[in-house]
Amino acid sequence: MSRIDLPQGTLDLLILKTLTLEPLHGWAISERIQQISKEVLQVQQGSLYPALHRLERRGWIKARWGASENNRRAKYYELTRAGRKQLETEQDSWRRLTTAVAQILETT
Amino acid sequence: MLSDLLFRLRSFFQRNRVEEEMNEELCFHFERQVEKYVASGLPRAEAERRARLTIGGEDKIKEDVREARGVGFVETSIQDLRYGVRMLRKNPSFTIVAILTLALGMGATTAIFSVVDALLLRPLPYNDPAKLVVVWENSIRHSHPHNVVAPANFTDWQRQNSVFESMAAMADTRVNLTGNGDPEQVVVQNVTAGFFHVVGVNPIVGSGFTEDNWKQGKDDVVILDYGFWKERFGGDPYLIGKAIDINGKPQVVVGVAPKDFNLYVKDGTLTGAKPQMWSPWVVPQSFGDRKQGLGRYLTVVARMKPGVKLAQAQDQMRTIAWRLQQQHPDTNAHWGATVVSIREQLSGDLRPALITLFCAVAFVLLIACANVSGLLLARAAKREKEIAIRSAIGASRWRVARQLLTESLLLGAVGGILGLLLALWGTNALLAASPKGLLGLNSVSVDIRLLSFSAAATLLSSLLFGILPSYVASHSTIAETLKDETRSSPVGGRRGLLRHALVVGQMGLALVLLAGSGLLIRSFVRLAGVNPGFESRNLLTFQVTLPRSKYGKDELQVAFFKELLARIRRVPGVRSVSMENYPPLTGLGAATGVHILGQPQVPISEGPVSGVRVVGPDYFATMRIPILAGRTFSDAELNEVRRVVIVNQAFVDKHLPGENPLGKRVVIHMRDDKVDEANPSEIIGVCGSVHQMGPGEEAKPNAYWPMPELPYSRMTILVSSSNAPLSLVSPIRYELHQIDSELPMASVASMDQLLSDSLSRSRFVMFVLGLFAAIALVLTAVGIYGVIAYGVAQRTHEIGIRMALGAQRGNVLGLVLGQGTRLTLIGVGIGIVAALGLTQLMGSLLYGVSATDPITFGAVIFILVAVALLATFVPARHATQVSPIVALRYE
Repeated sequence: MSRIDLPQGTLDLLILKTLTLEPLHGWAISERIQQISKEVLQVQQGSLYPALHRLERRGWIKARWGASENNRRAKYYELTRAGRKQLETEQDSWRRLTTAVAQILETT
Repeated sequence: MLSDLLFRLRSFFQRNRVEEEMNEELCFHFERQVEKYVASGLPRAEAERRARLTIGGEDKIKEDVREARGVGFVETSIQDLRYGVRMLRKNPSFTIVAILTLALGMGATTAIFSVVDALLLRPLPYNDPAKLVVVWENSIRHSHPHNVVAPANFTDWQRQNSVFESMAAMADTRVNLTGNGDPEQVVVQNVTAGFFHVVGVNPIVGSGFTEDNWKQGKDDVVILDYGFWKERFGGDPYLIGKAIDINGKPQVVVGVAPKDFNLYVKDGTLTGAKPQMWSPWVVPQSFGDRKQGLGRYLTVVARMKPGVKLAQAQDQMRTIAWRLQQQHPDTNAHWGATVVSIREQLSGDLRPALITLFCAVAFVLLIACANVSGLLLARAAKREKEIAIRSAIGASRWRVARQLLTESLLLGAVGGILGLLLALWGTNALLAASPKGLLGLNSVSVDIRLLSFSAAATLLSSLLFGILPSYVASHSTIAETLKDETRSSPVGGRRGLLRHALVVGQMGLALVLLAGSGLLIRSFVRLAGVNPGFESRNLLTFQVTLPRSKYGKDELQVAFFKELLARIRRVPGVRSVSMENYPPLTGLGAATGVHILGQPQVPISEGPVSGVRVVGPDYFATMRIPILAGRTFSDAELNEVRRVVIVNQAFVDKHLPGENPLGKRVVIHMRDDKVDEANPSEIIGVCGSVHQMGPGEEAKPNAYWPMPELPYSRMTILVSSSNAPLSLVSPIRYELHQIDSELPMASVASMDQLLSDSLSRSRFVMFVLGLFAAIALVLTAVGIYGVIAYGVAQRTHEIGIRMALGAQRGNVLGLVLGQGTRLTLIGVGIGIVAALGLTQLMGSLLYGVSATDPITFGAVIFILVAVALLATFVPARHATQVSPIVALRYE
């Protein structure tokens, strides 16, 4: 299966979603998205890090330094309360968007 | 929002740390990626190569991250600022001209604002000043809405109103302060019960008056004015509880009023001076009795009840006054009541002048902004290439506009700071130049209000002059600019048009300012040319007040002044000497109803009115007031009551038109009605009319009585000297103290000085407005010079071709001059229309000149056009010297 470029704005949604379970560092986030999407979605570092810093600025995730799996210093991101709320609304609007798009595609 | 700001600030201020963290984070990512490839079996070198490929350009990522963190805005601004500073330093002549122009405009604006703020806007130093009002009687017949109040009416107002919480009356008088130091005449304000409650002020030292102080025998207390306490008593705190001698009687000081409390109501003062102390006024039983005759002399202050509006208070007072008219037609016919807020009362007569000055200074600022805007437009044209290249390599319009706006703000900020310094210096110079007591301010200091105003003015004007050039510059098309080497458009297209519009606007504003100041100058010339009706040269004036305790009887007063005049007459250098109770130009006077026998008898309040002056021997000779008919007082008339009076020409014109006044007999109601009725005075002479209240006020009917007719305990001595009048002060003081060493010589002044003081406000407003108009003229000249010179520089090529094709110098000169003339005339046209409208608002500042005076308008149009043409002529001449060869080769 070929890879798909992420539509504008969906990356934020995916990052927030991957962080619901546990705090992760940047590399792990991109790996997780890749794994779960069965290699369909690939996150470029060039868009990942600006997105992370933007989300941090908005207060939806916060960063702290911790030790990684192989005991190296890594920057972990975790979801804040505001981030959780944001995720819910974004998920919701995403679902409505996809159903609406699907409906149009089916009827024509 | 706040967290966002903090985040941005951290990104900015801990830049190094944030950068390091970002590097570490990206580095970590890279290594994990390599490890992943190595784990899948690739050799390390290949794994690194792959990782690098998937990750992409590291610098681009970092830049994007920085942008995402919001460092951009602050950093870009700093970049812009640095760049701006460089650009301004690279063009020092432009920068200096722009900054000086702005500093001048903003300095003048801030200076005037500080005065306007202190006088019109700042809260007054009274408790809840919005509730404090002054209540006057309104003399409907003499259209004098701020007339002092009769005690009987005050008493009735107090009883009948329901809008005021409290009401008090005051009347000021001069008393002699003796003991510790030279005797001195001071102004004391006698206030009725509750006065300090009405104004809502408590003494800063001492306990103040108690209710008991308004009982007979307990009123020997005073509260001192702060300034007077400092000046006369060195601010001695131990003075409280001690007695000072006033008119020979000890009075205990019970308080000092706050520094800025100085309730001085010009319309109601009887001494014409600020009070130096307050004293409780125990009003006699007969105070509110109408049968005692009805002198009007009180100033009434009142505090409105909570929730009562000024209009309500005015309504009720009008109703009460109307009722009193019906009940007491003999005393109150044609008398209404006026309620004035304290702010209006205290600044009312300055308001038109201040508002005019503030508008004028705003115009100056606008002209300054237009100038700088024009300069920036011209400079933007020179920077077209630079801007085009910036756009070509990817700068957005907003980015370009922002850069230019930042430069404008920078200019504005430097100009604003310089302007503030200029304003501080200027305000204090303004106050020093302003006539004493005119503004009631001694100095203005920098405070948060002034700083905020200055900052706001800076920001606003920076936007005002910056927005147009930066909009134009950021919207010029790249391709055309880079291509355009031919200078095809003669005046630079849209940009040229804009600059022309700016110059036209400047011309218009300058014309308005010139017209305004021209009108004031003409008014002043008129005013200064008014013959006051007497000769002010070499005339010394001073006041002597005889304390009642020592000179209670009329005969004692008459004898004292007779001896004083006799002694002064012998002083070398004295030409003649006389005296008068209310001399001209002191802002004071007594006026009363008169009845000319033979004319129908009407109630006093409806009959003719005349001023009454009591004078000494040689009065008309000393003042050099001409006797137009009849004779002056004889020695006998000056020494005993002979029932004679001299009236002025205005009296004859108004009350005895077409009749021979000599021999007519008049009842002058100055004493008890019955005494007056039984003792009419015979008119023995007619003298010239004097402008009692100053050259700006018309000469009113006046009757002159010799001293014995109505002795006064306070007289102003008038000494006509053969040389400098003030040199006579000490010999005269010596003579005065020979008679009574406890009597001060008060309000010493030369009549020339009083005359000059009476013109001081007109002179001051004229001077300041004239200064602004001059600044406006210079700025406008610079503005039109700039536009034309720039146009010529741009058209060098075209002019060269014209000359190569045979155009004469005259043609070229005409071409450029024509352009300047066109702009000037359009601007002048707009200016005339605006000025005709705006000068109407100056009506109350003008004297003897109409607001649309054609001579003034003609003169200022001539001046403006002449200056503009002169400014155009310089670049026009320059254009004629263009050599065709050089111009064509110039590309």
